[in-house]
This record gives sequence, structure tokens and C-alpha cells, in this order.
Amino acid sequence: MSAGRDDRERPTRVYAPDFLTELFRNPLEPGYAAAAARRRVDPPSRWHSRSARTVTVVVLVVLGFLLAVAYRQTLEDEPGRSQARSGLVTQVKERERETDELSARADELREEVGRQRDAALSGSAAARLRDLEAGTGMGRVRGDGVVVRLADAPGDADAVTGAGAGPPRVLYSDLQGVANALWSAGAEAVSINGQRLTATSTIRSAGEAILVDFRPVTGPYEVSAIGPGSMKRRFEQSRNAALMREVAEKTGLSFGVREADDLTLPAAPEPQLRYAEPPGGPSASPSGDRSASPGSTGSGTSPSPSGGGR
Amino acid sequence: MIAVLALLAGVVLGVWLDPSVPAALQPYLPIAVVAALDAVFGGVRAKLDRIFDDKQFVVSFISNVLVAALIVYLGDQLGVGGQLSTGVVVVLGVRIFGNVAAIRRHLFRA
Repeated sequence: MSAGRDDRERPTRVYAPDFLTELFRNPLEPGYAAAAARRRVDPPSRWHSRSARTVTVVVLVVLGFLLAVAYRQTLEDEPGRSQARSGLVTQVKERERETDELSARADELREEVGRQRDAALSGSAAARLRDLEAGTGMGRVRGDGVVVRLADAPGDADAVTGAGAGPPRVLYSDLQGVANALWSAGAEAVSINGQRLTATSTIRSAGEAILVDFRPVTGPYEVSAIGPGSMKRRFEQSRNAALMREVAEKTGLSFGVREADDLTLPAAPEPQLRYAEPPGGPSASPSGDRSASPGSTGSGTSPSPSGGGR
Repeated sequence: MIAVLALLAGVVLGVWLDPSVPAALQPYLPIAVVAALDAVFGGVRAKLDRIFDDKQFVVSFISNVLVAALIVYLGDQLGVGGQLSTGVVVVLGVRIFGNVAAIRRHLFRA
């Protein structure tokens, strides 16, 4: 640190093995000490020191300039980042709206096709088709049934991290359980927040979101089912309902079952048809080629009505 | 005193001129600022030690900024830019801390 010590060390200066220790102990540029020692021996001329002083002042001006520029740059970057983010959000929203519009159009056309078909077919065949459509979720259905309402526990988000602790939220497995219990209680058609379930529907989680057929649903969740009058009683006696009641009591989730008259469940989006192909056929792509749309992989393989990881 | 005035003049100049940094230089700006701070604290400490030297200060400032930018540039080319920036910041941070500690000892004798 003192000039003397530094001078003594200089001739044999090698980097000690513990370079980091040296770094921590003596962060001063050794050049300052060396320059001071040199000045003592040979004082610089007046003109020389004055010009050096001027250069220092210039450097300090540059430094202040640098600080200001860096500060402004950081400030400017911030809105850029959030702009990019909100731009993405808008795009996502827009695409979702487009999807909704298109699927509404598809529904219209499907209904049109159904009407034309009914007109073309004889009465019994048309009725049988309609029944099949109702059963498979391909057609809109109306009727009496029950609505099961699930909602996250209120206000339990961690004040520090902002993230809700796991248990007090409705999990995808809860929705799966409820849907499956409704099916086994005799439901003929089930939908979650207006998303009709079919034989190939999936209920999954992606991060904190729950996806039904790869479309996000948010709480409160309403699982509507159309079925016979005994459905409510049978559902409430099921193990899943008992489990949910217990969970609701312990964690503050809300869980309610009510009967509802004249429910209308929408049709499910048109399913992706899959075809088995013999291996080694003329088309050398045994699988996946036809169902190339992303996200549809695997959804058709689950046999359980509400799919997913059960 | 002159030094502080010069610094303030630089800040005012920066605010007033409001220059736009070319995109190619933007990644180096924060590192350059840290390197410059290191030179400044080294200079302040030397001043308090009464061994301040103008030439030494100027050279250390310029070389600090250039070397830091060069290291980040090299890191970018090698694909380890983030890690090397972290390394540069850690080393300069240690030096800044050491110098500030020395300054503190000078000013408060503690």
C-alpha cells in the first residue's frame, strides 16, 4: 500500500498463487505509488503537470457523460422491454379471438351441414346420427343437469413472492376427478367453462395454467353436465366429491354442486381424425404425418373420457 | 473541486445532448460504466493517499474501459459473453469495494 513496500516488491513481482487474496487486499493500482515515487525523484515540469491536469478534467467530463448516457439508456430500454411484452400479449389475444371467430364459423357450418343432412336422410337415421353426435360431443346439447363450481381459495397468495402456495389452488387433477365422477354418475355431456369434453379431451396443467383441450381455462371453474335426475345424488356420493369436499374444508377452496335446468353445452371443436396405416405402405410415413398439428400428439391415446394423466 | 465540477458538467452534457447509443455498442455500456467507476474510486483513494497522478488516472480509466469492453466482446464472440461480463463485474466490484473501504478508512478513520 505504501510506496516503499511496493518499490521493494517490484523487481521480483510474480503473481502469488493466491491471486484473489492479493486482489482483495490491495486493489489500488500500483502505478499510483510508482508514479509518486518517480515524482519524488524527478518533479515534473509545470507545463507538463498542467496539461496532465487538463486531460484529467476532460476524462472526468467524459466519465460524467458516460454515466448520464448509461442511465438514460437503461431508462429507455425498460419501456422497450415492456412494450415487446405487451405486444406479444396483444398478439396472443388477437390470435385467440381469431380462433374463436373461426371456430364459431366452423360451428355454424357444421350446423348447416347437419340441417342439410337431416333433410337428406330419413327420420330414423337422422335421429340416430343426432344421438351419436350428442354422445360424442360433436353436437350442441340442451337439457337439465348439474353445475359443479370450483374456485381457488381467496387471497392466499404469498405476500412476499406473490405466488400462491400450491394447495389452495384448484389443480388440473381436481377438474379431472370431477369430470370423471360426473361421467360415472351418468352424465351424457360434460363441459368445463364452456369447453365441451369428448372422448379425446385432455385436462392438463402447464405451469400454473390449466388447459382443457390445449385451451387455457381460468378460475372459477364451472363443470356443467347434462344427465339424468339422479346424477346429482350419485355425484355427491362419489369418492371424488367427498375428496373435494374434504379439500375445500381443509384449504379454503370453494366447491359447490347445484342442479341447473336447461343447460346448453356447446359442441366440441371438430376432432382430428386419425387413421391407422399399415407399416411399409406406399406412403412411408407410418405415424404423425396426418396429425401434424402441434399439441395434438398424444391427446387421442388416452382412453379415459377426460383424458390426462390418470 | 474541479474534478467534481467536471463530472457534473459531463452529466449535464449527457442529459442535454441526449445522444443515442449505437446498437452495436449497447452491451458494452454497463461494463464500461463499472470499469470507469473502478478507475474513479482508485483515483479518489490515491488522492486521499496523496499519491494521485493525472497520467496514471487517465491511463487507468481508458485502459479499464477498453479492456472491459474487449473482454465482453471476446466473450460474445466465444458465446460466453454473459459469464465473462459477470466475471468482469465481480473483479471490478471487488476492487471498487477495496478502494471504497480504503477511502472510508481515510475519511472516518474506521
